[in-house]
Amino acid sequence: MSSSRRDFIKNTGLGLGAASLAGVIPGLGTISAATAAELIDPLAPKQPHFPAKIKSVIWLHQNGAPSTLDLYDYKPELVKLAGTVPAPSFLKGIKTSTQGGVGNLFASKRTWKQYGESGAWFSDLLPNLAQQADKLTFIKSSVTVGATHDISILKLNTGDLSPGRPSLGAWISYALGSANPDLPSYVVLYNGDREPAAGSVNWNSGFLPAIYQGTAFRPGPSPILYLERPELRAEVQQRSSLDLLKKLNNIGSAERPTDTELQARLRSYDLADRMQTAAPEAVDLTKETDATKELYGLNDKVSESYGTTLLRARRLVERGVRFIQVVTGAPQGETEVTSWDAHSDLEKNHGVMSKMVDKPIAGLLEDLKSRGLLETTLVVWTSEFARTSYGQSGNGRDHNPWGYTQWLAGGGLKAGFTYGETDAIGLQTADKDKAVDTYDLQATVLNLLGLDHLKTTFLNKGRSERPTVVYGRVVKEILA
Amino acid sequence: MKNKYLYLAMALVFSSSTTWAADDDKSSAANTTKQTAAANAAAKDWAVKPLQHVTAPVVKQQKWVRTPIDAFILAELEKQNIKPSRETDRGTYIRRATLDTWGLLPSPTEIEAFEKDKSPDAYEKLVDRLLASNHFGERHARRWLDLARYADSAGFQGDQTRPNNWRYRDYVIASFNEDKPYNQFAREQLAGDELWPDNQTARIATGFLAGYPDNSNSRDLVQRKYQIETDYTDLVGEAFLAQSIGCARCHNHKIDKVSQKEYFQLQAYFANTVVNEKTPLAKGTELDWDKTFTTQQAAYQAATKEIRDKQKAILDTVREKGRQYHNERYLTDSRDSIFKAEKDWNPLDKWVNWRLKAVATDADISGYLKVSAEDKGTPVFDAANIEKWKDYQKLTEDLKKFDKQKPGRGSKTFTTLAETGVQSPQTFVRFGGVHERPLEAVEPGIPALWTIAAGVASPAITPTANSSGRRTALANWIVDPANPLTSRVYVNRVWAQYFSNGISATVGDFGRAGEKPTNPELLDYLATNFVDKGWSTKTLVREILLSNVYRQSSDERADLVKIDPDNKLLAVYPRKRLEAEEIRDSLLYASGELVDQVGGPSVFPKVPNNFNAGQLWEASKGKEDDNRRSIYTFVRRSVPYPLTVSFDPANPSNPHHKRDVTTTPLQALTLFNSDVVFGWSQALAGRVIKEAGDNPEAQINKLYEILFARKPSSAEKSALKDFLKNQDKLIAQRGWDKNYSLAVPTGLTEEDTKKLNPLKAAALVDLVHAVANSNDFAYRF
Repeated sequence: MSSSRRDFIKNTGLGLGAASLAGVIPGLGTISAATAAELIDPLAPKQPHFPAKIKSVIWLHQNGAPSTLDLYDYKPELVKLAGTVPAPSFLKGIKTSTQGGVGNLFASKRTWKQYGESGAWFSDLLPNLAQQADKLTFIKSSVTVGATHDISILKLNTGDLSPGRPSLGAWISYALGSANPDLPSYVVLYNGDREPAAGSVNWNSGFLPAIYQGTAFRPGPSPILYLERPELRAEVQQRSSLDLLKKLNNIGSAERPTDTELQARLRSYDLADRMQTAAPEAVDLTKETDATKELYGLNDKVSESYGTTLLRARRLVERGVRFIQVVTGAPQGETEVTSWDAHSDLEKNHGVMSKMVDKPIAGLLEDLKSRGLLETTLVVWTSEFARTSYGQSGNGRDHNPWGYTQWLAGGGLKAGFTYGETDAIGLQTADKDKAVDTYDLQATVLNLLGLDHLKTTFLNKGRSERPTVVYGRVVKEILA
Repeated sequence: MKNKYLYLAMALVFSSSTTWAADDDKSSAANTTKQTAAANAAAKDWAVKPLQHVTAPVVKQQKWVRTPIDAFILAELEKQNIKPSRETDRGTYIRRATLDTWGLLPSPTEIEAFEKDKSPDAYEKLVDRLLASNHFGERHARRWLDLARYADSAGFQGDQTRPNNWRYRDYVIASFNEDKPYNQFAREQLAGDELWPDNQTARIATGFLAGYPDNSNSRDLVQRKYQIETDYTDLVGEAFLAQSIGCARCHNHKIDKVSQKEYFQLQAYFANTVVNEKTPLAKGTELDWDKTFTTQQAAYQAATKEIRDKQKAILDTVREKGRQYHNERYLTDSRDSIFKAEKDWNPLDKWVNWRLKAVATDADISGYLKVSAEDKGTPVFDAANIEKWKDYQKLTEDLKKFDKQKPGRGSKTFTTLAETGVQSPQTFVRFGGVHERPLEAVEPGIPALWTIAAGVASPAITPTANSSGRRTALANWIVDPANPLTSRVYVNRVWAQYFSNGISATVGDFGRAGEKPTNPELLDYLATNFVDKGWSTKTLVREILLSNVYRQSSDERADLVKIDPDNKLLAVYPRKRLEAEEIRDSLLYASGELVDQVGGPSVFPKVPNNFNAGQLWEASKGKEDDNRRSIYTFVRRSVPYPLTVSFDPANPSNPHHKRDVTTTPLQALTLFNSDVVFGWSQALAGRVIKEAGDNPEAQINKLYEILFARKPSSAEKSALKDFLKNQDKLIAQRGWDKNYSLAVPTGLTEEDTKKLNPLKAAALVDLVHAVANSNDFAYRF
């Protein structure tokens, strides 16, 4: 006996009226299948709290924590002080490691220029992205918690330092439903030959039902597991077997005419059938022009795999996928540099990683713009933390959760705008009142989607949970 | 627009609750821990009120009552003038009961025996047979492991294998199979190391707590301690008491009368707890796997001795510096403990250094060697190490040549809790739950809400020779027969396993936001009876299975629509989607391929080629890996087993109370397209031919008996026969590879296979596969 419909309504608090509670029959389900489907379909499109500025989010997680000091946050003072021990005032209030001789400030061999009308600074590591300067909204006062990648990555995606809470994408799927039933509404992309470390806990649905979890799309033509029929079966066999299955399920359903759960299962096979076509089509780049492929850096070995994921991301946006989480891997064949984690030899590491992402991200922004999609899409450059102003191992940098740069681009934002700043050496956020924590970033993303992070709730074990735990502030200053 | 809504109807069964505006500040607890206030509050809190010994009510239809359970249910039905449903047929009953107790399907022989058994105690005999099987423990253990957030790996980025965690899993299976009293089960898991320090089984039981998700590379050991203790506290509160105690960590509980201070008092019971993941097994307790492992390990070590000795010799020359370098990576307050002389260690320093030692490896030293040899810019650069590092790398390459000889799964160790001494580190209240903001120090104590109403005071703490005794005190309080929560929570969970919903639907929340029990007298009857009968799970399950409530039909009843839309009164038996493991195990079992072996190291069944999990998912070693029950599948926290992941299995991050039911296209893709499932369909088709011969009607009947414990209806039969008539012709027209490969039934002798018409045989495989995908298979009615 299912009490699913009632439970769902009770758990969501998303505004399904009390009137719709009537009509559940014991032994299963509801009187009207249409109404029932509408109510019990957890991925049915739902109205946001207020008009949304954007439809989709591309969440560009720069895995391993890039040194934004060497990309966006130009600090002439750091260059001047390089080689000296930072004054104690800079280190006030932070817990540091001493490994590899923390102490001496470090400047990399960057050259810096201002770009666009906004005059945003970019280092020579991002020549292509620099051309997109006026599309970006910088947050240069980002902060988070944690000195270890995995716990801070968890916090970035789920809001907690331990695994178990739903990821941001899961919350969005839950709150808004799906805009295209033939594809998962929350997709994870990565480049490289294996899933990102720590894996699914960063795109899981936590205490939300499993249906809201992210689906990892694999590189290659068949992005979802079990998309292809068993090896020894021909298409014609699949087809007639599906017909038989439908007949059998219909016969069974006839005995339980009001069992919507059984009907849903019957329909799930139709949907799966459609997904079998829709998912490979969504990632098939053969119809993209050479110009587009070049725009995304597909003609260069270093940027090819990442560019491919971003081009896939754009195609998913076009097909109504709500949240696309893209995790950086490594260029094909690259074995030494596998993430942004440059504790030593930052020059080499960031050289490779920047080259991998620079052209693809610039291309994505350009492409979205030219297709009129940038206004309804949000692109977020984010990382678990960034890197210190003081050096480590002589030519690398340690982890910095106290002050770093992230940026957003797309609908509803002040483009070519910068919010917040770090101190003179780029170590800590200068004005703590302007600090933007991961919760604040999440609240802001939700806001652009038309969701109030305080009202996006789910009842879990008696507790009304929200994406931002007990924190979060919308960074109104960056909104258009 | 209608179409848009219609596209994807997915049914959900959530753990539900009546109040959803739960975080309303108006209901916020007062800022007090005064016992009087808590006592007043407790008056409203049904779950913490003392247990009542209730006698079964008198009912009109006394004949319908087989067990006291029936009287409690029937009394409520009679009040509403509702008739219970008819008794279901024996085939449905045995399928239901076998799935519920074993997670497997009954065999045709078992079905036939039961259907033909005319003796008055036919049901009793069946139930006793089910309860006596090892499959019972395998099924019940899975749900306890859900609560224990069990996994075979540590989680986080490294997600390292925990090579002996399966001993805890096997402990749980064995405990259910031997019907270990639940109070004993609880005490062993919470404080086995303190209570029975010489008993290895009791120490393995503490793997319950030790199974927390962990990142061994954390640079903040003091914060890690806090995270681990938070995990313990929330786990114990939820698993044994169904209290969402974690809510009170950041602020006073907004719904239940538990203050933030009380939360941290509860956390203080774990303040001195450490874990030893490498405790050597006692001599004579090695299992076959361990013996094999030991032999293989000895051979590997002998073969590689020279290389490893050389490596060690190199590391020894830099060990001290390497350790120093590694230890400097820890953050400020961790380093305060790490670099303090041992004679000055306070209890916190002891904890931090225990942890430091537990996560230290030789890789730390070789890591230093690499940095000091390669990074000229680093202050630890040492030209003398360049050669050493080269030599070391060369040796590592040499060592790799022996990788194939590495011992298989297994270990010589077990994991257990321990303590660093009698004194515990201090526990602090933390502002907003934030680690960096400690407030006042607190002593261990049980929240007043849980003690006052029942009259079970906070327990006295008696230290043992080298342990604080705190967990023992907590465990004893939890299983005190007068503690109303423990037994209520447990019997409610068991009930929910057999009836889909608990008597209180919120099996994981017995707080105010949870649902009140639909039949409080029944709940108290079950709880008191459970304790009185020696905390026996099997006795409880037996009474449920033999009740008339459980024997009812699950047919739809339109007459109940207005009276009991949620079936709270149980006038109909609730049908249910099979759980993830039941789906896989039942197919495997029906196919005849199940490798039916209890216990042992976890296995890695085959995964699709594009799974991309790298070394985190080992290659299957064959049937021993592929065809074990799902409870033995390796639980890698970051890489869930793909065949079952979409069927709402437990998430090992947190205690998992209730299996959701979602219906998704990914499930359909999995069951319909997986080569593994298709392979089982081939094997099942082979079994059908073996048992029913080549007559299509007999084959169809046999298949339905195996999968559904019933005969096909005439409509089904005609659909299936039509399919068989046409499918071989369709297959004949398909495109072919050069070998004319076709999926035919497997498991037959070569001779019998030769006798088959390949087209008809392939058609039968397709039929079996479609039937195995049908709703009738995925549900138990």
